[in-house]
Amino acid sequence: MDSILLIDLDNCVRCHACEVACREEHNLAFEGGPRWCRIMTVGPRQAAGELQMDFIPVMCFHCDEPACAEFCPVGAISKGEDGVVLVDEDVCTGCRLCVYGCPHGVMAYNEATRTAGHCDLCAVRRSGGLEPSCVQHCIGGALQWVTPEELATITRGEHTLMLGRTCYVSSKWNLQHDV
Amino acid sequence: METVKHDTLRGTTAYKSECFICNQGCDARVHVKDGKVVLIEGDPSSPVTKGTLCAKGLASKGILYHPDRLLYPMKRVGKRGEGKWERISWDEAYDTIVRNLTSVEKKHGPDGVLLATGTNRGWVGYFTRFANAYGKQCMGPGIAQCWFPRMTAGILALGSPALENPYYEGSKCLLVWGVNPTSTWPAKAVSMMEARSRGAKMIVVDPLLCETASKADLWLQLRPGTDAALALGMLHVIIEEEIYDKGFVDRWCFGFDEFKKRVKEYPPERVAQITWVPEHLIRDAARLYALTKPASITECLAIDQNADTISTTRSLSILAAITGNIDVPGGNVISMPKKHLERKVESGLDYLTKEHHEKRLGSREYPFLAGEACVMPSPSAHNYTVWQAMLTGKPYPVRAVYCHGNNMLVAYPNTPMVTEALMSLDFFVVADLFMTDTARIADIVLPCGSWMERGGVALHDQTSFNGIHLQQKLAQIGECRTDYTVLNELAARLGFGERMFPSDDAYFDFLLKPSGITYEELKKKGRISIPDTFKKYETNGFNTPSRKVQIYDPRLEELGFDPLPAYREPTESPVSNPGLAKEYPLIMTTGGRVPVFRHSELRNIPVLKEIVPELLVTINPETASRLGIGDNDSIIIESPRGRMEARASLTEGIDPRVVQVPSHWPGKNNVNLLTDNKACAPMIGSAQLRCQLCRIRKKEEDGVG
Repeated sequence: MDSILLIDLDNCVRCHACEVACREEHNLAFEGGPRWCRIMTVGPRQAAGELQMDFIPVMCFHCDEPACAEFCPVGAISKGEDGVVLVDEDVCTGCRLCVYGCPHGVMAYNEATRTAGHCDLCAVRRSGGLEPSCVQHCIGGALQWVTPEELATITRGEHTLMLGRTCYVSSKWNLQHDV
Repeated sequence: METVKHDTLRGTTAYKSECFICNQGCDARVHVKDGKVVLIEGDPSSPVTKGTLCAKGLASKGILYHPDRLLYPMKRVGKRGEGKWERISWDEAYDTIVRNLTSVEKKHGPDGVLLATGTNRGWVGYFTRFANAYGKQCMGPGIAQCWFPRMTAGILALGSPALENPYYEGSKCLLVWGVNPTSTWPAKAVSMMEARSRGAKMIVVDPLLCETASKADLWLQLRPGTDAALALGMLHVIIEEEIYDKGFVDRWCFGFDEFKKRVKEYPPERVAQITWVPEHLIRDAARLYALTKPASITECLAIDQNADTISTTRSLSILAAITGNIDVPGGNVISMPKKHLERKVESGLDYLTKEHHEKRLGSREYPFLAGEACVMPSPSAHNYTVWQAMLTGKPYPVRAVYCHGNNMLVAYPNTPMVTEALMSLDFFVVADLFMTDTARIADIVLPCGSWMERGGVALHDQTSFNGIHLQQKLAQIGECRTDYTVLNELAARLGFGERMFPSDDAYFDFLLKPSGITYEELKKKGRISIPDTFKKYETNGFNTPSRKVQIYDPRLEELGFDPLPAYREPTESPVSNPGLAKEYPLIMTTGGRVPVFRHSELRNIPVLKEIVPELLVTINPETASRLGIGDNDSIIIESPRGRMEARASLTEGIDPRVVQVPSHWPGKNNVNLLTDNKACAPMIGSAQLRCQLCRIRKKEEDGVG
C-alpha cells in the first residue's frame, strides 16, 4: 500500500498553512474558491480537570466505500487501485449530488470550473515523488506522509483512527483502535 | 543549492528567494511561468524553515496581481483625503517631493520634516540609513511599542538581544512569553514544536488560551500588563530556593546582590495577587524553567506594551542569565550578524550629531527611544510627542512627513489624534503597495513592490541568525520601484546621493563584504550558513560596561531611572484607577495576532480573508451572558477615548474580567479608536496597549447601538 496521510492531533496549531497551501497548489485561491482542507476547532472546554482546546485538520479521507461515488449519477468519481478517490473533471456535470452525499463535508463545488472536487492527496506532486503540499508546509508537524510500516512504528497501534488513506492519532483523545 | 531550478512537474522555473511577508524572512521557492509568478512554496532545503511556509507567505501571489495595486505615482488633485488623484511620472513625483520638503525645511528648519516607516521588511535598515544620512528624525521601525524595548533591554543587560534567538535544538524547556509563535513566528514555531515533540516541557504565559497555550504543560494566565511582576516573582522563587546557576552568577553577573534585595519585594503570594496567576503555578513554573536545562525563552511584542517595558524585558534577560541559559545550545544565543554583514556602518548612525539626538522629539523624556542613550541603530521620535508637535507647533512645528511602508492611521494608538495631526500637515508623501487609509490622505503616493519584486540579502537577529539568505527580484508590476531604488533616487535629488548607493545590487554587495562574496555570487550559492558558536562571552566577556551581565545598571541611575527592574501597575487598571474601572470595568488587551494577516495588511487577499472574515473579540461566556451578549453578536466597545464595533467570540479561554481585541482592523473595527497613547512607559515611551480599560454592550438590531 502507498503512503498514508498521518494527522497527529497533538501537533496541529491551527496555523492554516495546510488550507492555503492546498488552495494555492490546486489553483483554488480565488474569491469563494473551494476549501478542500480546513481546520476544525474543538473547545476550549473543561476536560480531564483542565481547559482544553484542540484543532482537527479535515480533508477527504478517501473512504473505503466512498459515498460520493455512490451518489454520482454519471460515474465521475472512482476509487483507484492506490486507494485514492478521484473526480474525473471531464465526466463531472457539476450536479453537486456528491457534495450533499459526502458524510464528512469534504467535497466542494468549484464555481470556476463548474465541477466538484476534493483533496486528491496532491496527485501532481505525488507523480513527481513529492509529499502533499499540506504536509510540506505543516508548521506544527501534525501532517505527515508515512508508509504503513512507519505508521505502525509511530503510533504503535494506539490512539489511532484509520479512515481510508488517512489516519488520525492523538495522545489525548481516546480514538478507536484500527491499525 | 540550486537557486534556479526547472520544475518538470509544473513546467515552471522555481527560484530561491526570501519571503518577507512579515519581518521573519523565510526561505521560499517562487515558481515563474511565462513571466508570471504562478506558485509560492516553502524551500525543503532550508535549515531554518525545513520546507514550511506560513499561510501569509503561501498566499503572497495574491498581492502581486491584485487589481487594487498602486501601479504608478499619483498626486492629489482634490481636497486632502477626498480621493481624487492624477497619474504623474516618477520624475514629477520626485520633483514635487524635493520642492516641498525643501520649502518646509526653509520655513521651519530641518526638524520641520519627519520620516516614518513601519515594520521590518528587509529594507528597513536601509530606510534607517536614509533617515540618518538625510539628518531627519524618523519614527520607526517598530519603535516603542514593538522591538525597541526588548532589543534595548537585551543590549543593556547582555550586550545583545539574545532573547530574540531561542536555540530550540536540544532545548528541554520552552518558556513562551506573551507570544503565539504558530501565528507570528512560523519558522520559530516549526523548531519549537519539534522540540516539544522530542519531549521538551512548555510553559506559556498568555492571558488567552491561544494555540501555543493549548499545547502547554503549564499555562500561566496572567492579568494583562503584569508581566514584570510575574517574572520578578519567578526570580524570587529561583533565588530564594537557590536553584540559579551559582557558578555563572559569581563569575558573570554584575549587581546580583542588589537584585537579590529587590526580588524580596516580589514573594509569590504578592505576585499572585498582582498577576492573578495562582501562587503554586508561579512556583511550579519557576522551578520547571530553572531546573530543566537547557531552557529557552521565546518572547515578542506583548512585553513591549505595558507600563514599564524596560523593566519587563530586562527581568526576562536576567531570568535567562542567572539560570545559566545564555549562549548555550538549547538556551538563548547571542548572534553575530555584525561580523557577517555591514550592519553598523549600514545604519549611517555616524551621520548624526549630538544636536540631532537632543532635538529629536521625546529625547528628554524617553532617552532610550529618542535620545543619545538609544542603543539601537535607528533612534526614533516618540509618536505622541510628534502628533503634539504637528497639532500645536510645540516644541517646534513638524509640517511635512515622508512615510515609507507604514499605515499609521490604523497601526498607531489613538487613531483620532493621528488622523487630526496628519490631516494638518502641509505636505505628506506615502510609499506603499495599496491605497491604504494613510495613503488616502497623502499629497503624493508612490507605488512600491512586495517581497517578490525586489532583491535582497537577509540576515537578522530574529530568526535567520545562522545564515545569510538570498532574496531575488522575480516580478515587475506596473511602474512600481523597489524600496531601495526609491530611496536611492530620492537621496540623489535631495543632495545626499553619495551617502547612499547607486543601485540595489551595489548596496547588497556592500552588505556582503565581510562575508567575502558579491550579490551575484550569492545568487548562485543561495545561502551562506554561519556555524553556531556558544559561550562567546568567555573570550571577551559580555558587550556591556562591566563585561558582565548588567543586572544592576548604573547607566539607568545616571539618567534618573531605577537601576533595577521593578513592577509598575498599568496607568489604567482596576487597581490604579478604581473610579474609572467602575465605568469601564473590563481590561482590554489588544495586539494578539491571527495567523493569516500581517498587521493591517492582507485583508484584501481572498484565501486569507475567508479564514478570518471578521474582527472577533474574545469574551468569557460568563461576562457575555451578564451583558446579554451571545456568540457572534455585534457589539460596541467603548473606552474613555472612543468607540468601535466588532463581533463577540465567546470562549472560556479568557478571564471573565478581560477581553481580547485583535488589532489593525480598519474603519469602525479599529481598536486604536480606543487606545491611549499619552501614558507611556518610562525610559522608552511605550504605549500600554496590552492593558487599558473598556466596556462592552450589544449593538442593537437597528444598528444605532
